[in-house]
Amino acid sequence: MAKMRERVVFASSLCKEYRIGDVVIEALKNLDLEVGKGEFVSLYGPSGAGKTTLLNLVGGLDKPTSGRIIVFDQDLGACDEDFLAAFRATHVGFVFQSYNLISTLTALENIAFPMELSEWPEERVQKRSEKLLKTVGLSHRADHLPAQLSGGEQQRVAFARALANDPPLILVDEPTGNLDLETGLEIVRILEKLKAGGKTVIAATHDERIEQLADRTLRMQNGRIAAADE
Amino acid sequence: MSDLGFPWKDLTRRKFQTGLAVAGLTVSTATTVFLVAFGESLGFSVTLLAGGGFTTGFSYVFSGFILVVSFLGFLAGVSVTSFLVSTAMAERVRDVGVMKATGSTAETAFSYFLTELSIVVFTSCTVGTLLGVLAQKACVSLLNLLGFQVSQKPLNLWVLLIIFVAFALASHVLGVRPIKRATKVKTAEALSPIFSLEKTPQPLRTTPSRLGLTFKIAYRSLLRRRSATLRAIACLSVVLTLTTVATVGGAVANQTTQSYAERAIGRNVILIGHPDLTEQYASFLARAFEEAEETKPIDLLDPKYLINESLISELNSLLGDGRVDPRLVLATTVHEVPGIIIDPEEPGGYIIIGDERSHEALVLGVDPGRVVNDWLTLGRFLNETDEYTAVIGDSLATENFQNPQKQNVKILGEDFEIAGVCLDPLNKGYVAYVPLETLSILVNRTGYNLLFLRIDPSERLEAVADIEGVLSGTGLEFLELNGVLDKQLDFLNSLWSMVMFLPLLSLVTAVLCLLSYTMLSVTGEQRELGIMRALGAKPRTILKIVLTETGLLVLVSGAIGITAGTLITWLFLIPEPVIPPLSLALTFGWLLLALVVISLTSLYPAVRVAKQPVAKIVSEPP
Repeated sequence: MAKMRERVVFASSLCKEYRIGDVVIEALKNLDLEVGKGEFVSLYGPSGAGKTTLLNLVGGLDKPTSGRIIVFDQDLGACDEDFLAAFRATHVGFVFQSYNLISTLTALENIAFPMELSEWPEERVQKRSEKLLKTVGLSHRADHLPAQLSGGEQQRVAFARALANDPPLILVDEPTGNLDLETGLEIVRILEKLKAGGKTVIAATHDERIEQLADRTLRMQNGRIAAADE
Repeated sequence: MSDLGFPWKDLTRRKFQTGLAVAGLTVSTATTVFLVAFGESLGFSVTLLAGGGFTTGFSYVFSGFILVVSFLGFLAGVSVTSFLVSTAMAERVRDVGVMKATGSTAETAFSYFLTELSIVVFTSCTVGTLLGVLAQKACVSLLNLLGFQVSQKPLNLWVLLIIFVAFALASHVLGVRPIKRATKVKTAEALSPIFSLEKTPQPLRTTPSRLGLTFKIAYRSLLRRRSATLRAIACLSVVLTLTTVATVGGAVANQTTQSYAERAIGRNVILIGHPDLTEQYASFLARAFEEAEETKPIDLLDPKYLINESLISELNSLLGDGRVDPRLVLATTVHEVPGIIIDPEEPGGYIIIGDERSHEALVLGVDPGRVVNDWLTLGRFLNETDEYTAVIGDSLATENFQNPQKQNVKILGEDFEIAGVCLDPLNKGYVAYVPLETLSILVNRTGYNLLFLRIDPSERLEAVADIEGVLSGTGLEFLELNGVLDKQLDFLNSLWSMVMFLPLLSLVTAVLCLLSYTMLSVTGEQRELGIMRALGAKPRTILKIVLTETGLLVLVSGAIGITAGTLITWLFLIPEPVIPPLSLALTFGWLLLALVVISLTSLYPAVRVAKQPVAKIVSEPP
């Protein structure tokens, strides 16, 4: 349970508004959340409920309009962009619905990318990239570019890349949304391994298999947490 | 909506891109119009014919420069337009898909974008032409303000029309292709988020991984958009060739033409003669570049103008032997004598060349061992054993002779073999130098009517005082030719500065071109750059990637452009170039600095992306 564990994420009265011309859209409304270390939290809810916005704020991709978001004791709303970039590189692993691999880099190079940003020694980068690629079962696709990989393979590479810097927090946004059932199962298995490995995971998903893995499932609606199933 | 309604609204909505295209073509058109119109007003035309303003030798360098720079300006203009249309269409291919999906035909879409192109081209050509004409008027006025006499000649409207039509036509021809390509894409493909006009189907992956992450990503991005990259390199290379010819070529041509004038007139030379004659001689020199007023013709051989031999001895003893260059100057008609040359097409055959043309010219009898000038001469100057040998001025040679070095010139009824052609601003190049003794015999005069003295600049004051002393009571006067020379050098300097200025604006087109490429690149890569930031790349890493990409482009284009520009300057533009190492190094230094500035200014789109919230970029569908 969140309160029993060391706190990783703490959000208090979190609001996020987007302005499109004169129209203000409230994506998050006074949201409170705590996630403990090693906890697996799944978020579900209709499109526009605020799941992705919440993941973005937790991952330091965006800043709240008001309220506080503290992750690993860092008040992300008060940090500058350079700090947030370094924070993302070392503390957070992202997996996006549309894989988001860098198209000019091979599978192996995509995995190596966060480590290279963190200026790891070249040999260590190479070894760890190969190891992670093997973990997701794609050693034979090391030199392939994203365009030459299937959707499932791309998502597995994306998971391997999210783990590259061994971040303690993994944020996953609809990881099986673009995949067929069978391919989605491979992703679920990877998430199982992550949970077993003690990573803190927050996953926005509609996939019941992932929800079943979660310690807590939060239903979001209209920018708020409408219900929590524990 | 009217036929113009959609294209006009579309252009005004996309102000930045429209502005880039209009500015690029406007600058190029203005450059070409200015150069041609300015050249015309100075008296030489782009047809390389001496138009009466300069001697043909100077005219050759100026006309050549104007012709090459105008042509490069034209090439730059149309290639920038073509490139900008290509990049614009690469960004608009999805719009084309939407238009077709909502019922438009490919032809309708094509006509919309063609109308946009036409609006941009006609606006740019019109504004460019007007700006070019205004710049020409301003430069001629400025020259007059600076004390040089250059008249505002009426513009040759035909030339302006030809330039306008050439730019408009070529821009259309080259701009239509990318529009056709974009409108022919199948609707489904055009609407696909992964389709791109510029991306090669299979991304290339030649791997310079060891050069670091930034270089690797930048290099591969360039390779992936191979066709856009090649077009950008071609476009930038043309613009940088133009810039190099304008700056390096202009600097070398400026120094070279100044050196031609200095060698012909002489530095630290004092002219001595009867006041009527020195005034006449100064007027003959002033006519070199400007529209100097004609002086009343006088009989240069009038005995009252002859200088006493004892004066020369006195000056020699005062200044040292060999410093005095006595000359006998007269004005007469010289005639072309037909020559016979070997027929190159028929072995053993001969052909006669020449039309027996004649022209008024100054004939100067000189003592070849004592001349103080060092003209740029094709062939050779006179030597002391010559009798019936002449060296003629550049304008006389080109206007009156078919092959001067194979022909004779008839002066005062006698044939003189032409030993060489010299570049001489005196009397606009209509001069002939012959041995003094021969001329004296022909005109039956013993003596000289002008003396030229070379003085040591460190002893100028003493020398001038001595000369004044020697001349007092003789009725002769002296004139320091440095004043005349400096005015001519100032004129040349002003002229080159003006001629070089507008082509320098080509740097602006280089910036526009690169800016457009960066826009295409950053727009295409926006999502990936966002992903990199989501993974921990700092904004400056993104800037480094884009800077490396544009830096590579500029480096390759710069290498091509600067090499081509330098070769054009050296090999084709300027005979016997004078290359001042320091100013050349400075010019190249400025050019390199310009390349760095071009690369940096093109970072604007990258900065925009680097400042965008990462969440917004990565959350958008691909």
